[in-house]
Amino acid sequence: MMDCKKYKKGLAAFLYGELKGDERELFKAHLDACPQCMGELERLKEVKKGANSLQEDIENAMTSVDWDALPMQIVENIFKKEAHPARESWLEKLSRLIFQPRLRPVYAGLLVGIILGSIVTFMVVRTPQPVMVEAGEFFAPRDFLENVDLEIARRDTLDYLEKSQYLLLDFVQSPSEEAAEFWRSEFASQKARDLLSQKKYINSQLNKFQMAKAKAICDQIELLFYELTQISVELSAEEIRKIQRLIEEKNLLLKIKLLKRELKRSEV
Amino acid sequence: MEQERTSKNEDVYTLVEKIKKGDREAFMTVTHLYQKRVFLLAFSFFHNREDALDIVQETFLRLYQKVNLYRKGKNFQNWLLQIAKNLCVDYYRKHYGKRSELRKENPVDDMNLPLQNEPDPHTFSDLKGIFTPCLKKLAERQRMVFVMKHYNQLHYNEIAQILDISLGTVKSLHFKAVQNLRGLMAPYMGRQV
Repeated sequence: MMDCKKYKKGLAAFLYGELKGDERELFKAHLDACPQCMGELERLKEVKKGANSLQEDIENAMTSVDWDALPMQIVENIFKKEAHPARESWLEKLSRLIFQPRLRPVYAGLLVGIILGSIVTFMVVRTPQPVMVEAGEFFAPRDFLENVDLEIARRDTLDYLEKSQYLLLDFVQSPSEEAAEFWRSEFASQKARDLLSQKKYINSQLNKFQMAKAKAICDQIELLFYELTQISVELSAEEIRKIQRLIEEKNLLLKIKLLKRELKRSEV
Repeated sequence: MEQERTSKNEDVYTLVEKIKKGDREAFMTVTHLYQKRVFLLAFSFFHNREDALDIVQETFLRLYQKVNLYRKGKNFQNWLLQIAKNLCVDYYRKHYGKRSELRKENPVDDMNLPLQNEPDPHTFSDLKGIFTPCLKKLAERQRMVFVMKHYNQLHYNEIAQILDISLGTVKSLHFKAVQNLRGLMAPYMGRQV
C-alpha cells in the first residue's frame, strides 16, 4: 500500500521518461505486479493523449510563421525602437531629474544630516535643562533652602530662649514682695507679651523641624509667662514666692541654658 | 541565407560576446537559432499565435537590452527561456489575468483558473476540445511546468533552472499538473467520440 503511494507520485515522471536505469526497471516491475497502479498509468496516458491532440494546432501555428523573415523583422523593430525611443512623460522626466545618479551624494548628505539632527534634538530634549533665572531673582536648591530655614528656626529659638532667660532671671532674683509688682510693671508685661507672640511665630518652625526637646521647654516657658501675665495680679506674695521656688526647683533656667548651648552647637 | 547562418556554426557564447559588442548579424543568428523554442513555449502557454509572436518579439528585445547580464557558464537556452517565461507570466497577468485569483496575494499554485471566455468542454466532443480548456484551468506554475515538459520536451532539471525552483518542486508541480488534468478531463471523457 505504502509502495503504491510512492509509485503513484512517480507516475508522471515515468510517463514522461524522466526515470532512468534501475529506477525505471523497478517501476516497470511494480506496474506489472500492481493492476491499480497500471490502471492509474492508463488514465494518465489519456492526459498525454489530450496534450498530443494540440500538436496539430502547434504545427499549424509553426508553419504559419515565416521563420526566415522573423529575425530581420525583430531586429528592425528593436533598432527602430532604439532610434525613436518612446517619448517621456513629464512625470518620467521629473523623476529622472530628481533621481539622477549625480545627486546621490546630495541625498546621502541630506539623509545623514536629518539623522544627526534628529539624534541631537533627541539628546537635547532628553537632558533636563537648568531653570533659567532672570536677573535680580534668587535661585537656590531645595536642600540649601531647607538648611537656611533650619538655621533661622534655630536662631529664632535661641533668641526666644535668651530673652526668656533674662526675664525669668529678673523675676526669680527679685525679692518676693517686689515679685508681684514685677509682672505689673509695664516693662515686664510688655516683654512677656512680646515673648508670647514670638513663641506663636516659632511654634510652626519647631514643629516643622521636629525640635521636640526645644519645643517642650519653650512650651513650659510660654505657659509660665501666660500664667504670670494673666493671673499675677490676683496672686499673693506667698504664691508668687512659690512660683519662684518652683522655677528654681525645676531648674528651668538651667535647662534653658543647656538648651541654648545645644542650639549654639546645632545639636538639636 | 539559411545555409549561411547554419554554416557559421558558431559557439553560442561567441555569438553572445559579439552581440554585447553590438554585432547585428550575431544577434540575427541567435534569434534564428532560438526563435522557434521561444515561440513553442509561448504558443503552448497561450494557445494563441499573435500572443506567442508578441512574446517572441519582446523576448529578443529583452535579450538585446540585457545581454550584458548573461554570464558564461550559464545555459544560454535556459536563460533565454527564463526571460520568455517571465514575459509570458507578465503578459498573461496583463491581458488575461483580470480575475481575482491572479492577484499576487493568492498563492498561484493553489488556485485553479476559472475560464470565463473560454469554450465550455461540454460543447466539444473531441479530445482537443476537452483538453484545451482543462489545460487553461491549471494553476499558472503547474501549466508552465506541464507545457515545458510536454511541448518543449525539457528535462526536469532544465525546467528547475528556468523557473528558478528546486528539482523536487518541479517534480511535484508536474505530478500535480498531470493529476489535475486527469481530474478535470475525467467528467468529459465519456462523451468523447
